[in-house]
Amino acid sequence: MSYKIPMGPYHPALEEPYKLDMICEGETVLDAKLHIGFNFRGIEHLAETRNHIQVIALMERVCGICSNIHTLTLCSAMEGLTGLTPPPRAQYIRVIMAELERLHSHVLWAGIAAKLMGFKTMFMTCFELREKVMDVLQAISGNRVNYSMNRIGGVNRDINDPQSILKMVEALELEMARTVIPIFTTSRTATSRCAGVGVLTTEKTISLGVVGPVARASGVPQDLRKAAPYAAYAEMDFDVPVQPDGDVRARLLVRALEIMESCKILRQALAKLPPGEIHTEGERFAFITGTATARVEAPRGEVMYSVSWKEGSRNPARVHVRTPTFAVMPAIRWMVKGARLADTPLIQASIDPCYSCTDR
Amino acid sequence: MTSLESIPEKLGSKEAFVEKGGVHWLTLGAINVRALATAMNELQARFITITAYQLPKEEGFRLEYHWDLEGRLLGFYFVLQSNSIESIFDLCEAADWIEREIHEEYSLEFTGREYEPLLLRQGDTTGVNLRDVVAASNAVAASQEKK
Repeated sequence: MSYKIPMGPYHPALEEPYKLDMICEGETVLDAKLHIGFNFRGIEHLAETRNHIQVIALMERVCGICSNIHTLTLCSAMEGLTGLTPPPRAQYIRVIMAELERLHSHVLWAGIAAKLMGFKTMFMTCFELREKVMDVLQAISGNRVNYSMNRIGGVNRDINDPQSILKMVEALELEMARTVIPIFTTSRTATSRCAGVGVLTTEKTISLGVVGPVARASGVPQDLRKAAPYAAYAEMDFDVPVQPDGDVRARLLVRALEIMESCKILRQALAKLPPGEIHTEGERFAFITGTATARVEAPRGEVMYSVSWKEGSRNPARVHVRTPTFAVMPAIRWMVKGARLADTPLIQASIDPCYSCTDR
Repeated sequence: MTSLESIPEKLGSKEAFVEKGGVHWLTLGAINVRALATAMNELQARFITITAYQLPKEEGFRLEYHWDLEGRLLGFYFVLQSNSIESIFDLCEAADWIEREIHEEYSLEFTGREYEPLLLRQGDTTGVNLRDVVAASNAVAASQEKK
């Protein structure tokens, strides 16, 4: 006899509110339905009431973890409407901030995943490392969460001493290589808890339009930093880790390997940081009538902003945000089908969901 | 890499893709959205999203469909005079949530599919978030209630 188990919207296993109604038989999940919207703030509508400066501050608050990515994508789209191109130094600083944010996001996720695996010492280690990443972000921007780095035509703050940041990054990389990576890739706890759990097949990944590390962990090698390079990514040498298995362990491995690739990109960007201005001249922008779109590879996958403007208007006519979790979350239904009930919190966490982004 | 030049012909269009604002746009003419979704499936393009706009002065709505083809962002738009358009959910399951979201935000109907309960909010009224007419009528109703 089957029975229904509702998980959420407020549940100790969930970091943010959403609801999963699971139909179970014994300990096995037969099917599930997802309910989102508990964080709905109407941000796309609010954006239509903000001017070109206010809208950046607003969209930075779509997500608490990848706040920089949202302003980067928004500013890139608005640059398409103003005809501005950020100077090379600004493009490099954008890469540095984006990769630090990826490190922050992946290490935070690794900590949460470790906690859900019952691996609490690893959780502590990851959160200690995350603090160090946040220290670097604070050293650059003066802020730990909303960095206010991006503006139309460049960035707001310079990196005056790349060598000091490089030292911090090298220390981080060493610590990651010594603790996080070996434990996640070789420890018996991680393997036994994650291997073969929450499998998403390559076919389903493609048909659902899944993006980011979850897609790459199911054998789909898509990464906008390679496929459609933005900022200064075309000048960076890095690999895109891909795993074929599609289970929680594959997602863990992809993110662990991406941490190392991010460190590689950071070292290159800091070493090659070109001289010059960090933004274009002037504070007044002439928006043309039309729509511009920008896409960026956020820590969780592709973010897309579509911004429409009418010439002479103070505010955008429309701002549409397609966040990565919005594309990835429907896959949870297919991941939990056939899984053990006790594995479902870890399976849900394995997509690194951001409900705040999804609901907007 | 798939050439963009061959795609309009497959879709029965005589137009060419025009790159503007980061998107390769193709004007579709009489081609319907389901034929477009079928063609995109054949090309193995990845569905990204649909962006909806309410046009001024009761001119209707504009729906922009986006697919990724080997890193290139393709865009196709449809102008709706009515409140409905055919759903592509059965051809492209990645479009499920965004069709539901647009249905809720603008009160547009995607025909040929069933809706589950509201995706983004509790309640049973659609169009309250982004559709001007519904938002304005709600504001009037709220002010009358206060009186």
